[in-house]
Amino acid sequence: MKKRLKLLLSMMIVLLFVAYGCSSNNVKGSEGSQNQSAAKEDNEIIVAIDQNFITLDPHEAGDTVSIFGIRSMYEGLVGFDEHMNIEPVLAESFEISEDAMEYVFTLKKGITFHDGEPFNAEAVKSNFDRIIDGELRAVRNLKYLDSIEVLDEYKIKFTLNQPFGPMINKFAMIPIASPKAIADKSVDIALNPVGTGQFEFDVWNQGDTLAVKKYVDYWGKADNNVEKVTFKPVPENGSRVAMLKTGEADFAYPVPQNSVKDLKDSEELVIEETPSTIARYVSINTFKEPFNDTKVRQAMNYAIDKEAFLQVVKSGYGNILDSTMSSEVQYYSKQDTYNFDLEKAKKLMEEAGYKDGFQAEIWGNNSSESNTGMQFIKQQLAQIGIDVEIKSMEEGTLSDEIYTPETPEDAKVQMWYVSWSPSSGDADGATRSIFHKDYFPPNGANTAYYDNDEVSEWIDAANNTADQDEQQKLYEKIQSTIYKDAPWLFLASDTILSGYKTNLEGVYVLPDGSISVTNANLK
Amino acid sequence: MKKYIIKRIVSLIPLLLVVSFVIFMFIHLIPGDPARLLAGKDATIAEVEAAREAFGLNQPLIQQYISYLKTLLSGDLGYSIKSGAPVSGLIADRIIPTLGLTFFSIIWALVIGILLGIISAVFRDKWPDRVGMLTAVSGISLPNFWVGLVCIQLFSVHLGIFPSGGADDGWKSYILPSFALGAGIMAIIARFTRSSLVNTLKQDYIRTGRAKGLSGRAIIFGHALKNSLIPVITVAGLQFGFLLGGSVVVETVFSFPGLGRLLIDSIHFRDYPVIQSLILFFSVQFILVNLLVDILYSVFNPKIRYE
Repeated sequence: MKKRLKLLLSMMIVLLFVAYGCSSNNVKGSEGSQNQSAAKEDNEIIVAIDQNFITLDPHEAGDTVSIFGIRSMYEGLVGFDEHMNIEPVLAESFEISEDAMEYVFTLKKGITFHDGEPFNAEAVKSNFDRIIDGELRAVRNLKYLDSIEVLDEYKIKFTLNQPFGPMINKFAMIPIASPKAIADKSVDIALNPVGTGQFEFDVWNQGDTLAVKKYVDYWGKADNNVEKVTFKPVPENGSRVAMLKTGEADFAYPVPQNSVKDLKDSEELVIEETPSTIARYVSINTFKEPFNDTKVRQAMNYAIDKEAFLQVVKSGYGNILDSTMSSEVQYYSKQDTYNFDLEKAKKLMEEAGYKDGFQAEIWGNNSSESNTGMQFIKQQLAQIGIDVEIKSMEEGTLSDEIYTPETPEDAKVQMWYVSWSPSSGDADGATRSIFHKDYFPPNGANTAYYDNDEVSEWIDAANNTADQDEQQKLYEKIQSTIYKDAPWLFLASDTILSGYKTNLEGVYVLPDGSISVTNANLK
Repeated sequence: MKKYIIKRIVSLIPLLLVVSFVIFMFIHLIPGDPARLLAGKDATIAEVEAAREAFGLNQPLIQQYISYLKTLLSGDLGYSIKSGAPVSGLIADRIIPTLGLTFFSIIWALVIGILLGIISAVFRDKWPDRVGMLTAVSGISLPNFWVGLVCIQLFSVHLGIFPSGGADDGWKSYILPSFALGAGIMAIIARFTRSSLVNTLKQDYIRTGRAKGLSGRAIIFGHALKNSLIPVITVAGLQFGFLLGGSVVVETVFSFPGLGRLLIDSIHFRDYPVIQSLILFFSVQFILVNLLVDILYSVFNPKIRYE
């Protein structure tokens, strides 16, 4: 017994020794990584997001996260307000010619870039030259741009080679960088952003945080008191919520649906619900039997209980998709929804000659929400005899399967559970590449292979005019025609959920999922 | 010995060539097209083609491999398709956090694991053994993401002692993730130590030791333990190699900027240059760790010699 005691004691000594060894190790580690940097400054806010920034090059970014990171430092000639309406930013005003071919911007005076360079028409032109000469990603917004002309120091004219109504939205997608930073090839502008925004670049640890700090010579009103904003990617939902709870984050987006209830109980937090531009649907391959019969597609729409969909799949958040686009998109017009009606659905199936139903396949990505969604569709469609097989695929594989087929005949997709959001909030972006007949894969995302000459003509016609009433009328016709043709199962438009501390104001998520921090203020 | 080590390191080169070829072919053969993913869902065919051409993805595979090998041999890892950043920079940024996490995890796992193993072996079939092995089995059975989330709830949300994630709080930010990551390894090491030590304690020379009146401590620490550690080193070495590759799960739960997350992000995006370099890097690490383990064998058991 005594011996054992000795043994135990000696082991404890070893343990202590080792524990000491470990702790001295730890101290070493902390020296290397300057643990003081993490201590939050007084007027700093931390914004927790779910993805990494891919690039900070203002003209190369394509993903939402990079775009809003860039927008915290950069501004465009025009920009989006809280509801994604276009408003002048660096431009004082703009004029569009009647044929939607000429855009003239009058610029604001007295604006300087973060490096002290003056903002003027030449600076604007150098940005557009950079995009076009370098064939950068933003060139997609300038497909129809023919020429740029500097009229005087604060006036610039853009001429298009064909009429393009939504062009003004595209200008909002072009941040203006300092011409000096563009010309200086020794410093990578993607790593050292220089814009005109209220915040200037501080530091970016690639794959991790981006910090921006207040620019003292900002041209606009800047009486808000936040000095520094740090964006922190936190991919795991539970961890992001925990950061909000512990106060490590002042703002978090997205907040997972299932933690909203828990967070709402906290008096220190506000949960914000914002309607989004995201439309959630199942595209039906209208080229394939039996989906080529409109009655079948309508029957499928009637067979789905959309209210139940919102409850089961979206935890009650979201709205029924009552058009081909979300209510937040330009020129949205509400349609009569396919109300859940099994009798009607069965009758339509019978009229189409599919009284006993048929077998079908639905594709989707392998996220758990998509899986729940597809299970729900399967169960609903079973009510009218359609036996649906679910195929979940990893995103890259799925994209290959969808976009590789060269012709509609080769396409194997029958139904695709997916969502769509126009990149610049415009009706053209929410319609053209998913419904126009020239945009079948691989040339676009019209995976319903929706082929309606009239609709395609209207989409083109809407681009050919700058007359907003005319555009409105055309898009009303487009939406009602497509909705009746039912190339999709119209499910929901998402609600964006974000959370923040009660003492924070002025930070919000736009309907396209980008975060605006320009008015950040601590109460 | 020196000769042996040099030989092993030289033999790395052909091995890495084979590895690079296999990785290259495999990741190019899995479905998914980075050009499409880069161009975005609303891209036209022309935009996709432009992206493909920009990264040389339209060339035949063999040609792509040769040009990859050429840049690799000149010491250049290439540029990420996704972000355009140099791959070497992307990896360098994440090595330190992953290395730190690996060392903290393996050290506590080794210390506690071996101790638990010793206690269990010495008090075989008595209550300390039961407690020790219960701890070990729990360590293996509890998934590390769950352990991680529970730790966050307890230590960050309720107690507020440690940060819930990230790597910018110095040593504090390493505690929870290395605990979650090391739990399973600790358990494996404890079990291996116990069974190996139990076996050793049955050997004749241990009985001889006891017969000549050696104390329990002298037997365990002087004779038995050293002889029992060979399998433990093997397992610990393997685990160490895996850890150096970064842990996708734990790094995600703790939003830790490590290599595991970089790898998984790159795979989702089919960012070929980054995936290739990472896997090549992991292979080198793994081979070196194995070499180290082999050398350690001879330290613990001088009977093992390398020519």
